[in-house]
Amino acid sequence: MAARVVKVKRGPELTLWERLYIPEIIRGLAVTSRHFFSNLWGFIIGKPRVATVQYPEQRLEHPAAFRGMPVLVAREDGSERCVACGMCEVACPPRCITIVPEETEGTIERRPKIFDIDLSRCMFCGLCEEACPEEAIVMSADFEIACETREGLIWGKEQLLKPPEQLRRRINYIRDEFNKYDSAKDAPTNVIGATNARLAKPAGEDQRRAGSH
Amino acid sequence: MPAEAIFMAGKIGFVFFLVLNLAGVLGWVERKQSALMQDRIGANRAPIFGITAIGLFHPLADAIKAFTKEDFIPARAHKLFHTLAPFIALVPALTAFAVIPFGDTLTIGGETTQLVVADLDVGVLFVFAIMSLATFGVVLAGWSSYNNYSMLGGLRASAQMLSYEIVMGLTLVGVFMVYGSLQLTEIARAQGEYFVFGGVNTWIPKWGILTQPLAFFLFLTAAVAESKRLPFDVAEAESELVAGYFTEYSGMKFLMFWMAEFVEIVVISALVATLFLGGWQIPWLHPDGLHVPFTAIVVGLPSLVVSMMGVGAFLMKVFVLIWLQMTIRWTLPRFRYDQIMRLGWKMILPLALVNVVLTGFVVLLLNR
Repeated sequence: MAARVVKVKRGPELTLWERLYIPEIIRGLAVTSRHFFSNLWGFIIGKPRVATVQYPEQRLEHPAAFRGMPVLVAREDGSERCVACGMCEVACPPRCITIVPEETEGTIERRPKIFDIDLSRCMFCGLCEEACPEEAIVMSADFEIACETREGLIWGKEQLLKPPEQLRRRINYIRDEFNKYDSAKDAPTNVIGATNARLAKPAGEDQRRAGSH
Repeated sequence: MPAEAIFMAGKIGFVFFLVLNLAGVLGWVERKQSALMQDRIGANRAPIFGITAIGLFHPLADAIKAFTKEDFIPARAHKLFHTLAPFIALVPALTAFAVIPFGDTLTIGGETTQLVVADLDVGVLFVFAIMSLATFGVVLAGWSSYNNYSMLGGLRASAQMLSYEIVMGLTLVGVFMVYGSLQLTEIARAQGEYFVFGGVNTWIPKWGILTQPLAFFLFLTAAVAESKRLPFDVAEAESELVAGYFTEYSGMKFLMFWMAEFVEIVVISALVATLFLGGWQIPWLHPDGLHVPFTAIVVGLPSLVVSMMGVGAFLMKVFVLIWLQMTIRWTLPRFRYDQIMRLGWKMILPLALVNVVLTGFVVLLLNR
């Protein structure tokens, strides 16, 4: 039985110059030294060429598509937009939303008595935002929610409520996303209580400029 | 003699002040330099009254942290040796600095002194004898910790340091042959002379890097290997051995190993500067002033100024070499254990022997 010989290709052979090692080391040192001196000069003249963001002091502006923690959108009068329909509660994969509805005297007949999000379970997926017919729960740009107790991560209605000006950028973003679909064109825009997401963007509002910060 | 005692106290104080502070600052330098080389910012916190001074207070914060940390000794470790090991690692590194000259003679008020703590006539041998003691600290730390990782680290360190010590010694044989002395001050002084070919003065100083270029590279390689830093850090090898021989150390004892490493860098830099880069010598600067090349013109300078310039030049050379070692450490990846041994025994050692033979021939030819 003849042994089968398989010749394995081991990659390129090193040339003598490469095997001498010292010239190649010097080449490597030149690369790192170039970075060193270029950055050193950058620091000396006060224009650092490094990409570091000094996080707590410096913050990057997130793109509008960024999903932070979900928050409740307030109306102009400060009350919540939420009508406690429970769509987000059902859509939520980790079941972190708890809603107890109550009746109101106003034209909008329902509102949540309790609206809790257990942020220790929330996975920031944004399905609640997609499910919401009232544009009442959106993903904000906030993500710094660390605290020292588990109870501290269960945020109630008052903590979650945010004025719409702070969320304008995200709201415009989800409206744009929604309007990409053909079905959005047929959607009624004049029905009271219909989704606000079907409304066109307010005129003159620049999506880039209206940041959430 | 009181003047001698004052000089001695001053010199010892200067050396200790310099080496210990440098070792501390090097911790910061390493972080900052690696950051710059990798396009980062690096340590820039630890403010004192709101002043951060580009992170210069980090070593201070590290020291305070290390002092206040729990000093942990594993239950089955050998308590005495475990405690002793960091001292054995640190003290030789500090002691070696005693024979390294950091300047020419200094004359104050009619009293003259050589700027070296102990001007031994076997200076280099003393350095080697002392530096090899540091191996004991490492091996002892590895063995007494009762930890497999420590043990492996200690074994690797001992094998590596023993092999490279031989190479270090051999590369220097060429240097001794050229300068005809083991005394570090004599070697440094001899490097102030110029190459003379056929009676013509070239005004190129006889620095070791020019008379012994091969030995310079070999010695630098062996010295970096001796200090157990990248690319020769198999003894620490954090990706394989946790932290190698000082895995089981904490608090100030950990910091002592860390300091020993940095002191060794300083010692190696000082040694290379003395043996290969002319020590305190500045080209064309002599005790009586600056000699303008190719002329007989001498710009006179007071001897005190010349001495101080010499000390400055020596420190400058040491800093550049430290920078070089740091750059090497943050550029090259780690060798495998067998590669280190092959490099040491099959490449550097034969080259060192060749260097000795070649130097012998050249010295014989020139002195005929």
